[in-house]
Order: sequence, then C-alpha cells, then structure tokens
Amino acid sequence: MLNLVPHLVNGLTLGLLFALIALGFTLIVGVMEVINLAHGSLFALGAYFALSTIGGDWFAGTGFGVWWQGLPLWTRYVLALAIGPILAGAAGMVLEFCLRPAYGKAPLYGLLLTFGAALVIEELIRLGWGTGEQHLEVPQAINGAFFMGGLIFSKYKFFAAGFAILAILAVWLLLERTPYGAVIKAGAHDSEMVRALGYDLATLRLLVFGLGAALAGLAGVVMVPIWGLRPHVGIDVVIPAFLIIAIGGVGSFWGAVLASLLVGLAVGVTGAYAPAWATMSMYILLILILGLRARGLLGRKSALES
Amino acid sequence: MITLSDLSAKGGSPVTWPMGLFLLGLATAPFWLAPIGLYQYLGIEIAIWILFAMGFNLLFGYMGLHSFGHGAYLGVGAYAFGLFQLHVGTSLWGGLLAAVLAATVAGAVVGLFLSHRRGIYFALLTIGFGQVFWFSAIKLHSVTGGEDGLLGIPRPPLELGFASVDLNDNAAFYWFVAALVALVVPLLWRLVNAPFGRVLQAIRQNELRARFIGYEVWRFKWATFTISAATAGLAGGLFAMAQESAYPDVMSLHQSGLIVMMVLVGGGLVSFWGPVLGVILYFIARDVLGGLTETWLLWYGLMFVVMVMVRPEGLAGLFHVLRPGKGRA
Repeated sequence: MLNLVPHLVNGLTLGLLFALIALGFTLIVGVMEVINLAHGSLFALGAYFALSTIGGDWFAGTGFGVWWQGLPLWTRYVLALAIGPILAGAAGMVLEFCLRPAYGKAPLYGLLLTFGAALVIEELIRLGWGTGEQHLEVPQAINGAFFMGGLIFSKYKFFAAGFAILAILAVWLLLERTPYGAVIKAGAHDSEMVRALGYDLATLRLLVFGLGAALAGLAGVVMVPIWGLRPHVGIDVVIPAFLIIAIGGVGSFWGAVLASLLVGLAVGVTGAYAPAWATMSMYILLILILGLRARGLLGRKSALES
Repeated sequence: MITLSDLSAKGGSPVTWPMGLFLLGLATAPFWLAPIGLYQYLGIEIAIWILFAMGFNLLFGYMGLHSFGHGAYLGVGAYAFGLFQLHVGTSLWGGLLAAVLAATVAGAVVGLFLSHRRGIYFALLTIGFGQVFWFSAIKLHSVTGGEDGLLGIPRPPLELGFASVDLNDNAAFYWFVAALVALVVPLLWRLVNAPFGRVLQAIRQNELRARFIGYEVWRFKWATFTISAATAGLAGGLFAMAQESAYPDVMSLHQSGLIVMMVLVGGGLVSFWGPVLGVILYFIARDVLGGLTETWLLWYGLMFVVMVMVRPEGLAGLFHVLRPGKGRA
C-alpha cells in the first residue's frame, strides 16, 4: 500500500494540472457553448510566448535585449507568467471575432472553425519558433527535487499544483462572488435576457473568450516545463481537456474539477502497474462514465446536445 | 443555408449526370493524370479517400452525427488486411474481406455505445474511441508493430480464374481500386436515396419527431455507423495495399479531423458528391501548395476557416447557388 502513495500523490498533482487546463475550456463551453478545439493551440501559444519572454529573443542584439537577458531568471519567469497568458488571451480574442458568424448556428460550426484555427496556429508556431522540442527554464528555487518520508518528489510539480489550486479558486471567486461572474453565468443561461437588461453581449463574449484563452496560455506556461514544448503539444493537451469536460459534464465547474482529479488519479495509479497504458486509462474512464451517465458526472442539459 | 434535405428526392435509377461524370472521370483518370502534371499514385490515393469520405458522409452529412474519430476504422481495415497477409496467407479477397469484417465488427461494437448519444457527447465519445484504437495500435507492439506499424505488406495478385493480374504495377492497381469505387459509390447513392436515406435526414432534422413517427432512432444510428465503418474498412484495406504498410498515424485525431475538413470543404453537407470534390481539392492542394511551401497546411487551414465562416455549404454549395431555383428551400 505504502508504495502506492507516490503514485497517488503524482495522480493528484496531475489531476490539479488537468483542472488548470480544463478551466478555460469549461468557461468557454459553459458561457458560449463553443467547443474550442483550438484550446490546446492557445496553450502552446502561451508557452511559446513565455519562452520568448524568458529568452528575450525578440530584442536579441539590441541594448534592451542585453539588459533584459541580464535580469535575474525569476524576474523574467514571473513576467513570462503574465505576458504569455496575456498574448494568448489576445489571440483568443482574434479567434472570437472569427467565431461570430457561427453563433446561433449548429454547434458543428464552432467546432470546425476552432479545428481550422488549431491547424493554423500550430503551423504559425512552426513558422515562428521552429519544429524542434524546446525547453522552458524555471527559476532555481522551484526546480529540482526534495525528500519527504523517504520518497523523492519534484519541487516544480508541487509548485504547479499549488498554482493550479490558486487559479481554480480565483476563477471560482470570479464566477460566484463578483457581479461580473453573475453576468457571465446569466449570459450562459439566458443570453436574450442579459441583452435586454442592457449588457453588451458581444463585449461579454469577447472578454470571456479572451479570459478562457488566457487561462489556456497560463496552463501552458505552468505545464510546459513538465511536459516539454513542441508545436503539436496542443493536441496532447486538448484531448485530456475534452475528456474532462465530457466526464465532468458540459458546463459544470465542479464537475470539471472532480473529473480532472479522477482522470489524474486514474493515470497515476495505472502508471504504477502498467506505465505503457497510463494514458489509455483516461479513455476507458470516459467510456465507462459516459456509458453510465449520458451527461457526465454533474452535467446539465445544454444546447450542444442538439 | 441549403441542406441535403432541400434537394429533391430522387428515386429509381442512379444514372444521373453527376454519376456519369464521376464514373467517366474515374475511368479516364490514368490517361490525363500525367499530362496535367500529376501522377498515377495520386489517382489511387484520391480514389481510396473518396471511398472513405463517401462512407463517412453517410454519417456526417446525411445523419448529422459528427464523428471525429473515423480514421480508426480506416486503420482497423488497414491492419486487418496486413495481418491477414502476414499471418494467414497471401490472398487479395481474403485480405479485403478481413479488412471489411474487422472494421464492421469494430464499428458495430462502438456503435452500440454511441447510438444513444447526441450532439457534442457523440462527438466526444467518437474522439475517445478513436484514441483508444490509435493508442492500442501504438502500444500492442507484438501485434501491430508499434509506431512503425506493419511493414512489407504484399499486394496479392488479382485472380480472375482465366488470368492473374499483378497489382504491384500502380496502373493495374488503380484500375482495381477504381472498379471497387465504381461498385460501392452507386450502392451508397442507392442507399441514401432509398427510404433509409430519407429516415436518416429526418433524424438529423428532428430526432424527437422521427422517434414519434415510430422510427427506432438508435437502430438507424447504429446501422449507419456500422455501414460507414465498413466502407472505411474497405478503404483501409486498399490503403494498406497502396502504402504496402499499415501504421498508427492514419488513426490519429489529426487524420480523423482532416477527413471532416475534406468532406466539409467539398460540401458534404449539401450534396452527395461533396466529399468527392473535397478529397480532390485536398490532395491537389497537398501536392501543389506542398510543392510551393513547407507550410501548406497553414494555407489550407486558413482557407478552411474562411470557408466555414463565409460559405459552410462548401464547394458543392457553390454549384447550387449557380443554379438558382433548384435545391433552394
């Protein structure tokens, strides 16, 4: 039993990271009823912007670039943690403009548009940053390993998991404890009434999409030191996000968090016994749960079903 | 926008001018492919993918069930063909039969899980199952050869009783593929213009109403999914012959997404013939744009995004706009 503990801990931290990935995805699904297949590409985009921020590539050779690269790593890392998501959010807003003709049509169009966008973003990344595997540096303080109860753990994983918890709480507070959250949720529930009350729905959608994309970018910056950075990392990411939304139930915040933890634990525990099949356990979990409950664990009826 | 059901129902004989044009193109392709700067093998690829895309459109365009994991059944067909050749015996019909049977069984089993699902949950589950097949193909190393796949799959000769045709020659193989396509496409045409096809469209338009009229909707979904998987299996068997190998890449989400793009760009939502246009456009784009730039997928993707935004009816939709009065609701 004891030798299962590190796998459970790994599974839980992985689950929290999955939740961070799924957070922006579920926000966009819940409010706009758009399955954003480009979520993974925005994730990658955020990470690549962070890479350039830390490396200072854009200003290499100029005086500013030299000064920038002289800054301590942790300063650049903290700035990357902000700049990556902001630029990913801006890209998300551009995508939202492209999505506008799809509103009010069958959900298929949103799905197809974002699939096309994912392809385009991935190719742009190949153009801008090359096709090889790259590495995002992290500050010394959160790098390396530590021992606890005779077991070895990675410091960075714990930092990332803690970060994920903070992000989940922040989004929950925004949705449940602020007037903005009330408007966002109302927009998901009854967009006509929200418009009748005088809120600008177009701006609301733009901001929510931007926020969702920024969360994807944030997940990218945090995850990539663990998973590695390559142009098609997006597709490795969008799949778990999907599964989690389907398992948790479309549009349910806590459903997504719960599903993330379940998926993380499934992967972690399978990894203990049959490492080669760890990823497979997610799909089995999806098929089992959707086989039993058509709308996932905590899902409600949604326009996406028709 | 126009949809398939706005087009007039055609009963009776599949002898129509698009069918004639299609068969004519199929029959004459070897003679004009080289003069216009293309090559024989491209004709084989296009013919195989037309088969796959038309079977897929039964599900996608006619029934409105959006499968994002259909590459799996092409892959199952390809592996079944390869395993048959390598372990059972070198036989053309045996291999193709194995390919179709394996894909049919896979489709029938997965279809049982899927046929009660709708909309986005259907799409998500097809992705889930597609990934299961893809992942299994990579991990079951001893059976499938892992990431490299099955290599050195032979192209068995076509035994006609009085003669034996060597299919290793691409020209001969093209004729074989074209003959199968010319056989299956009219069958699919007949199917979608039969009462069965009308029920599929009724389910797409209003599933609840179709159920109230007395159709057991899930059986139709299951049957359609299975037929479309079987067609994909046949295409997969031919694909294994064409490539002389079977590898997991065809089952990836990326490939499954590409078939959706091809069908949509061609206009599978508004026309039986849409997938044909889409497949041709994709392969020409791959070869022509791909010859000009490394990043041709960027341009193809941009074209796709613009198309979905402005003209989701696809290429076939343009034809209907050009012929007003016909097909407009």
